[in-house]
Amino acid sequence: MRLNGRQFARYSRHLLMDDIGVDGQHRLFNSHVLVVGMGGLGCPVTLYLAAAGIGRLSICDADIVAESNLHRQILYRDADCGRLKVDCARRALKDVNPDLMVDTHAEPVSAEILSGDYQLVLDCSDNLAARSLLNHHCRARRLPLISASATGWEGQLMAFDFERQQSPCFNCSIDPSSPEGRADCDTQGVVGPVLGVIGSQQATMAMAMLLGYGHPHGQLQRYDGKAGQWMNFKLQANPNCDLCAPFRRC
Amino acid sequence: MIKLLFFGRLGDSAATAPELFEASEGLTPSAVRYALAIEHPRLVEALLEPQVLVSIDRVIADWNQPLTDGCELAFLPPVTGG
Ligand SMILES: [Zn+2]
Repeated sequence: MRLNGRQFARYSRHLLMDDIGVDGQHRLFNSHVLVVGMGGLGCPVTLYLAAAGIGRLSICDADIVAESNLHRQILYRDADCGRLKVDCARRALKDVNPDLMVDTHAEPVSAEILSGDYQLVLDCSDNLAARSLLNHHCRARRLPLISASATGWEGQLMAFDFERQQSPCFNCSIDPSSPEGRADCDTQGVVGPVLGVIGSQQATMAMAMLLGYGHPHGQLQRYDGKAGQWMNFKLQANPNCDLCAPFRRC
Repeated sequence: MIKLLFFGRLGDSAATAPELFEASEGLTPSAVRYALAIEHPRLVEALLEPQVLVSIDRVIADWNQPLTDGCELAFLPPVTGG
Protein backbone atom coordinates (compact mmCIF):
# COMPACT_ATOMS: atom_id res chain seq x y z
CA MET A 1 0.00 0.00 0.00
CA ARG A 2 1.24 3.50 -0.89
CA LEU A 3 0.32 6.81 0.77
CA ASN A 4 -2.30 8.92 -0.99
CA GLY A 5 -2.59 12.74 -0.76
CA ARG A 6 -4.97 12.71 2.20
CA GLN A 7 -2.69 10.32 4.09
CA PHE A 8 0.34 12.57 3.48
CA ALA A 9 -1.51 15.26 5.44
CA ARG A 10 -2.77 12.87 8.08
CA TYR A 11 0.65 11.40 8.92
CA SER A 12 2.69 14.55 8.22
CA ARG A 13 4.10 14.66 11.78
CA HIS A 14 5.50 11.16 11.29
CA LEU A 15 6.74 11.99 7.81
CA LEU A 16 8.68 14.96 9.19
CA MET A 17 10.75 12.63 11.37
CA ASP A 18 13.98 11.31 9.87
CA ASP A 19 13.59 7.99 11.63
CA ILE A 20 9.99 7.39 10.48
CA GLY A 21 9.40 9.22 7.18
CA VAL A 22 7.56 7.70 4.19
CA ASP A 23 9.34 4.35 4.50
CA GLY A 24 8.48 4.05 8.17
CA GLN A 25 4.86 5.00 7.58
CA HIS A 26 4.65 2.29 4.90
CA ARG A 27 6.09 -0.17 7.37
CA LEU A 28 3.37 0.73 9.88
CA PHE A 29 0.69 0.40 7.16
CA ASN A 30 1.93 -3.06 6.31
CA SER A 31 1.95 -4.22 9.94
CA HIS A 32 -0.49 -6.66 11.49
CA VAL A 33 -0.59 -6.66 15.30
CA LEU A 34 -2.53 -9.00 17.59
CA VAL A 35 -3.87 -7.36 20.77
CA VAL A 36 -5.07 -9.83 23.40
CA GLY A 37 -7.39 -8.22 25.97
CA MET A 38 -9.48 -5.13 25.19
CA GLY A 39 -9.70 -3.84 28.76
CA GLY A 40 -7.85 -0.98 30.45
CA LEU A 41 -4.61 -1.60 28.51
CA GLY A 42 -6.06 -2.73 25.18
CA CYS A 43 -8.10 0.49 24.88
CA PRO A 44 -5.24 3.04 24.93
CA VAL A 45 -2.89 0.70 23.03
CA THR A 46 -5.29 0.23 20.10
CA LEU A 47 -6.34 3.90 20.07
CA TYR A 48 -2.72 5.00 19.62
CA LEU A 49 -1.88 2.28 17.09
CA ALA A 50 -5.04 3.01 15.07
CA ALA A 51 -4.27 6.73 15.01
CA ALA A 52 -0.64 6.05 14.09
CA GLY A 53 -1.63 4.26 10.88
CA ILE A 54 -0.98 0.60 11.74
CA GLY A 55 -2.55 -1.30 8.83
CA ARG A 56 -4.29 -4.13 10.57
CA LEU A 57 -5.23 -4.96 14.16
CA SER A 58 -6.62 -8.27 15.38
CA ILE A 59 -8.35 -7.77 18.71
CA CYS A 60 -9.33 -10.57 21.05
CA ASP A 61 -11.65 -10.40 24.08
CA ALA A 62 -14.67 -12.50 25.07
CA ASP A 63 -16.17 -9.94 27.49
CA ILE A 64 -19.05 -7.52 27.21
CA VAL A 65 -18.74 -3.89 28.39
CA ALA A 66 -19.78 -3.49 32.03
CA GLU A 67 -20.50 -0.26 33.89
CA SER A 68 -17.54 -0.94 36.22
CA ASN A 69 -15.20 -0.86 33.16
CA LEU A 70 -16.02 2.70 32.15
CA HIS A 71 -13.73 4.56 34.58
CA ARG A 72 -10.69 3.18 32.78
CA GLN A 73 -11.60 1.51 29.46
CA ILE A 74 -11.63 4.70 27.44
CA LEU A 75 -12.85 3.29 24.10
CA TYR A 76 -16.31 2.51 25.51
CA ARG A 77 -19.30 4.80 26.06
CA ASP A 78 -22.17 4.54 28.51
CA ALA A 79 -24.47 3.18 25.78
CA ASP A 80 -22.00 0.34 25.06
CA CYS A 81 -22.82 -1.47 28.32
CA GLY A 82 -23.99 -5.01 27.58
CA ARG A 83 -22.36 -5.11 24.13
CA LEU A 84 -19.29 -7.11 23.09
CA LYS A 85 -16.08 -5.18 23.73
CA VAL A 86 -14.54 -6.18 20.41
CA ASP A 87 -17.57 -4.87 18.45
CA CYS A 88 -17.61 -1.54 20.32
CA ALA A 89 -13.84 -1.24 19.95
CA ARG A 90 -13.91 -1.93 16.20
CA ARG A 91 -16.50 0.80 15.67
CA ALA A 92 -14.59 3.32 17.80
CA LEU A 93 -11.24 2.51 16.18
CA LYS A 94 -12.69 2.75 12.65
CA ASP A 95 -14.10 6.17 13.64
CA VAL A 96 -10.57 7.25 14.57
CA ASN A 97 -9.04 5.88 11.37
CA PRO A 98 -11.20 4.51 8.52
CA ASP A 99 -8.10 3.08 6.79
CA LEU A 100 -7.55 0.62 9.65
CA MET A 101 -8.52 -3.04 9.15
CA VAL A 102 -9.85 -4.64 12.35
CA ASP A 103 -10.37 -8.39 12.85
CA THR A 104 -12.37 -9.30 15.95
CA HIS A 105 -12.25 -12.45 18.07
CA ALA A 106 -14.99 -12.51 20.72
CA GLU A 107 -13.48 -15.52 22.51
CA PRO A 108 -10.58 -16.32 24.83
CA VAL A 109 -7.20 -16.39 23.08
CA SER A 110 -6.38 -19.80 21.62
CA ALA A 111 -3.68 -21.55 19.62
CA GLU A 112 -5.85 -21.05 16.51
CA ILE A 113 -5.98 -17.26 16.96
CA LEU A 114 -2.24 -17.23 17.62
CA SER A 115 -1.54 -19.02 14.34
CA GLY A 116 -2.33 -15.80 12.38
CA ASP A 117 0.21 -13.82 10.39
CA TYR A 118 1.35 -11.14 12.88
CA GLN A 119 4.52 -9.05 13.16
CA LEU A 120 3.95 -8.48 16.87
CA VAL A 121 1.75 -9.68 19.74
CA LEU A 122 0.65 -7.37 22.57
CA ASP A 123 -0.39 -9.01 25.81
CA CYS A 124 -3.03 -6.75 27.41
CA SER A 125 -4.75 -9.65 29.18
CA ASP A 126 -5.76 -9.84 32.82
CA ASN A 127 -4.82 -13.36 33.83
CA LEU A 128 -1.79 -15.58 34.14
CA ALA A 129 -3.20 -18.41 32.00
CA ALA A 130 -3.56 -16.13 28.94
CA ARG A 131 -0.12 -14.56 29.56
CA SER A 132 1.44 -17.99 29.77
CA LEU A 133 -0.27 -19.22 26.57
CA LEU A 134 0.88 -16.11 24.69
CA ASN A 135 4.44 -16.54 25.93
CA HIS A 136 4.47 -20.20 24.95
CA HIS A 137 3.23 -19.60 21.38
CA CYS A 138 5.28 -16.48 20.72
CA ARG A 139 8.40 -18.26 22.03
CA ALA A 140 7.78 -21.28 19.80
CA ARG A 141 6.97 -19.17 16.69
CA ARG A 142 9.69 -16.56 17.38
CA LEU A 143 7.15 -13.73 17.40
CA PRO A 144 8.05 -10.57 19.36
CA LEU A 145 5.85 -10.13 22.45
CA ILE A 146 5.24 -7.14 24.72
CA SER A 147 3.50 -8.15 27.91
CA ALA A 148 1.92 -5.46 30.10
CA SER A 149 -0.13 -5.39 33.30
CA ALA A 150 -1.41 -2.97 35.94
CA THR A 151 -2.91 -3.11 39.43
CA GLY A 152 -3.72 -0.28 41.84
CA TRP A 153 -1.20 2.52 41.22
CA GLU A 154 1.36 0.21 39.62
CA GLY A 155 2.18 -1.07 36.16
CA GLN A 156 4.67 -3.40 34.53
CA LEU A 157 6.02 -4.05 31.02
CA MET A 158 8.15 -6.87 29.64
CA ALA A 159 9.43 -6.95 26.05
CA PHE A 160 10.70 -10.17 24.49
CA ASP A 161 12.39 -10.42 21.11
CA PHE A 162 11.97 -14.11 20.41
CA GLU A 163 13.76 -13.78 17.07
CA ARG A 164 16.82 -13.86 19.30
CA GLN A 165 17.37 -17.40 20.47
CA GLN A 166 18.99 -16.35 23.74
CA SER A 167 16.05 -14.16 24.77
CA PRO A 168 14.58 -14.84 28.20
CA CYS A 169 10.83 -15.49 28.31
CA PHE A 170 7.95 -14.74 30.71
CA ASN A 171 8.20 -18.25 32.11
CA CYS A 172 11.89 -17.73 33.00
CA SER A 173 10.93 -15.34 35.84
CA ILE A 174 7.29 -16.08 36.59
CA ASP A 175 6.17 -19.61 37.33
CA PRO A 176 2.77 -20.04 35.64
CA SER A 177 2.00 -23.10 37.79
CA SER A 178 2.11 -21.12 41.04
CA PRO A 179 -1.16 -19.56 42.28
CA GLU A 180 -2.42 -16.44 40.53
CA GLY A 181 -2.25 -14.15 43.55
CA ARG A 182 -4.81 -11.56 44.55
CA ALA A 183 -3.51 -8.62 42.57
CA ASP A 184 -5.95 -8.08 39.71
CA CYS A 185 -8.10 -5.09 38.77
CA ASP A 186 -11.37 -6.72 39.87
CA THR A 187 -10.22 -7.63 43.37
CA GLN A 188 -7.73 -4.83 44.14
CA GLY A 189 -8.94 -2.00 41.93
CA VAL A 190 -6.87 0.11 39.57
CA VAL A 191 -6.33 3.81 38.81
CA GLY A 192 -7.53 4.54 35.25
CA PRO A 193 -4.66 6.76 34.06
CA VAL A 194 -2.07 4.22 35.27
CA LEU A 195 -3.42 1.97 32.49
CA GLY A 196 -3.04 4.95 30.14
CA VAL A 197 0.63 5.35 31.11
CA ILE A 198 1.40 1.66 30.72
CA GLY A 199 -0.72 1.29 27.56
CA SER A 200 0.97 4.34 25.98
CA GLN A 201 4.40 2.92 26.80
CA GLN A 202 3.35 -0.43 25.31
CA ALA A 203 2.16 1.33 22.11
CA THR A 204 5.42 3.33 21.94
CA MET A 205 7.49 0.16 22.28
CA ALA A 206 5.28 -1.52 19.65
CA MET A 207 5.91 1.28 17.14
CA ALA A 208 9.66 1.24 17.82
CA MET A 209 9.73 -2.53 17.30
CA LEU A 210 7.64 -2.38 14.10
CA LEU A 211 9.90 0.36 12.73
CA GLY A 212 12.93 -1.80 13.40
CA TYR A 213 14.34 0.10 16.36
CA GLY A 214 15.59 -1.93 19.26
CA HIS A 215 13.80 -1.15 22.43
CA PRO A 216 15.63 -2.90 25.24
CA HIS A 217 14.55 -6.53 25.22
CA GLY A 218 14.64 -8.86 28.17
CA GLN A 219 13.86 -5.86 30.34
CA LEU A 220 11.22 -5.44 32.99
CA GLN A 221 9.96 -1.87 33.42
CA ARG A 222 8.05 -1.00 36.58
CA TYR A 223 5.97 2.09 37.23
CA ASP A 224 4.65 3.34 40.57
CA GLY A 225 2.09 6.07 39.84
CA LYS A 226 1.71 7.12 43.49
CA ALA A 227 5.45 7.77 43.84
CA GLY A 228 5.79 8.98 40.20
CA GLN A 229 8.66 6.54 39.75
CA TRP A 230 9.93 4.27 36.94
CA MET A 231 12.49 1.54 37.56
CA ASN A 232 14.11 -0.85 35.07
CA PHE A 233 15.22 -4.39 35.79
CA LYS A 234 17.05 -6.92 33.63
CA LEU A 235 15.39 -10.29 32.94
CA GLN A 236 17.71 -13.25 32.70
CA ALA A 237 17.23 -16.47 30.77
CA ASN A 238 16.58 -19.15 33.37
CA PRO A 239 18.65 -22.30 32.67
CA ASN A 240 15.81 -24.38 34.18
CA CYS A 241 13.09 -22.92 31.92
CA ASP A 242 11.67 -25.80 29.87
CA LEU A 243 10.21 -23.42 27.24
CA CYS A 244 13.60 -21.89 26.49
CA ALA A 245 15.60 -25.14 26.65
CA PRO A 246 15.03 -26.20 22.98
CA PHE A 247 16.27 -22.79 21.75
CA ARG A 248 19.46 -22.86 23.80
CA ARG A 249 20.49 -26.10 22.13
CA CYS A 250 20.25 -24.54 18.63
CA MET B 1 25.44 -4.30 54.35
CA ILE B 2 22.64 -5.06 51.93
CA LYS B 3 20.36 -2.25 50.78
CA LEU B 4 16.68 -3.18 50.88
CA LEU B 5 14.14 -1.70 48.47
CA PHE B 6 10.39 -2.36 48.62
CA PHE B 7 8.77 -1.26 45.35
CA GLY B 8 5.24 0.14 44.94
CA ARG B 9 2.57 -0.95 47.42
CA LEU B 10 5.12 -3.09 49.31
CA GLY B 11 6.52 0.24 50.46
CA ASP B 12 3.24 0.90 52.31
CA SER B 13 3.73 -2.30 54.34
CA ALA B 14 7.45 -1.61 54.77
CA ALA B 15 7.23 1.86 56.37
CA THR B 16 9.00 0.65 59.53
CA ALA B 17 11.25 -1.95 57.88
CA PRO B 18 15.02 -1.42 57.87
CA GLU B 19 16.69 0.09 54.80
CA LEU B 20 19.85 -1.91 55.42
CA PHE B 21 20.39 -5.55 56.35
CA GLU B 22 23.56 -7.12 57.79
CA ALA B 23 25.34 -9.22 55.13
CA SER B 24 26.40 -12.75 56.08
CA GLU B 25 27.78 -15.90 54.45
CA GLY B 26 25.17 -17.73 52.35
CA LEU B 27 22.44 -15.10 52.87
CA THR B 28 19.61 -15.30 50.29
CA PRO B 29 16.50 -13.16 49.55
CA SER B 30 14.44 -15.96 51.06
CA ALA B 31 16.45 -15.80 54.31
CA VAL B 32 16.06 -12.01 54.48
CA ARG B 33 12.29 -12.43 54.15
CA TYR B 34 12.20 -14.87 57.07
CA ALA B 35 14.46 -12.70 59.19
CA LEU B 36 12.01 -9.79 58.76
CA ALA B 37 9.05 -11.92 59.90
CA ILE B 38 9.38 -11.38 63.65
CA GLU B 39 9.30 -7.59 63.67
CA HIS B 40 7.35 -6.97 60.44
CA PRO B 41 4.62 -9.61 60.14
CA ARG B 42 2.43 -7.53 57.80
CA LEU B 43 5.31 -6.94 55.40
CA VAL B 44 6.29 -10.61 55.37
CA GLU B 45 2.70 -11.60 54.67
CA ALA B 46 2.83 -9.34 51.57
CA LEU B 47 6.23 -10.83 50.59
CA LEU B 48 4.81 -14.36 50.82
CA GLU B 49 2.08 -13.62 48.26
CA PRO B 50 2.46 -15.65 45.05
CA GLN B 51 4.39 -14.02 42.18
CA VAL B 52 6.42 -11.53 44.26
CA LEU B 53 9.67 -10.94 42.32
CA VAL B 54 13.11 -10.18 43.73
CA SER B 55 15.98 -8.40 42.03
CA ILE B 56 19.64 -8.22 42.99
CA ASP B 57 21.33 -5.07 41.69
CA ARG B 58 18.34 -4.56 39.32
CA VAL B 59 18.56 -8.05 37.79
CA ILE B 60 15.53 -10.29 38.41
CA ALA B 61 16.84 -13.14 40.56
CA ASP B 62 15.91 -16.37 42.29
CA TRP B 63 14.80 -16.36 45.95
CA ASN B 64 17.72 -18.71 46.71
CA GLN B 65 20.44 -16.76 44.93
CA PRO B 66 23.27 -15.77 47.32
CA LEU B 67 23.56 -12.07 48.22
CA THR B 68 26.91 -10.29 48.29
CA ASP B 69 27.93 -7.51 50.67
CA GLY B 70 27.05 -4.08 49.23
CA CYS B 71 24.34 -5.29 46.85
CA GLU B 72 20.82 -3.94 46.53
CA LEU B 73 17.94 -6.36 47.11
CA ALA B 74 14.56 -5.19 45.74
CA PHE B 75 11.16 -6.78 46.26
CA LEU B 76 8.48 -6.22 43.57
CA PRO B 77 4.82 -6.97 44.31
CA PRO B 78 2.84 -8.82 41.62
CA VAL B 79 0.99 -6.79 38.98
CA THR B 80 -1.33 -9.01 36.97
CA GLY B 81 -4.42 -7.03 35.93
CA GLY B 82 -5.06 -5.41 32.60
ZN1 LIG C 1 12.06 -19.10 29.39
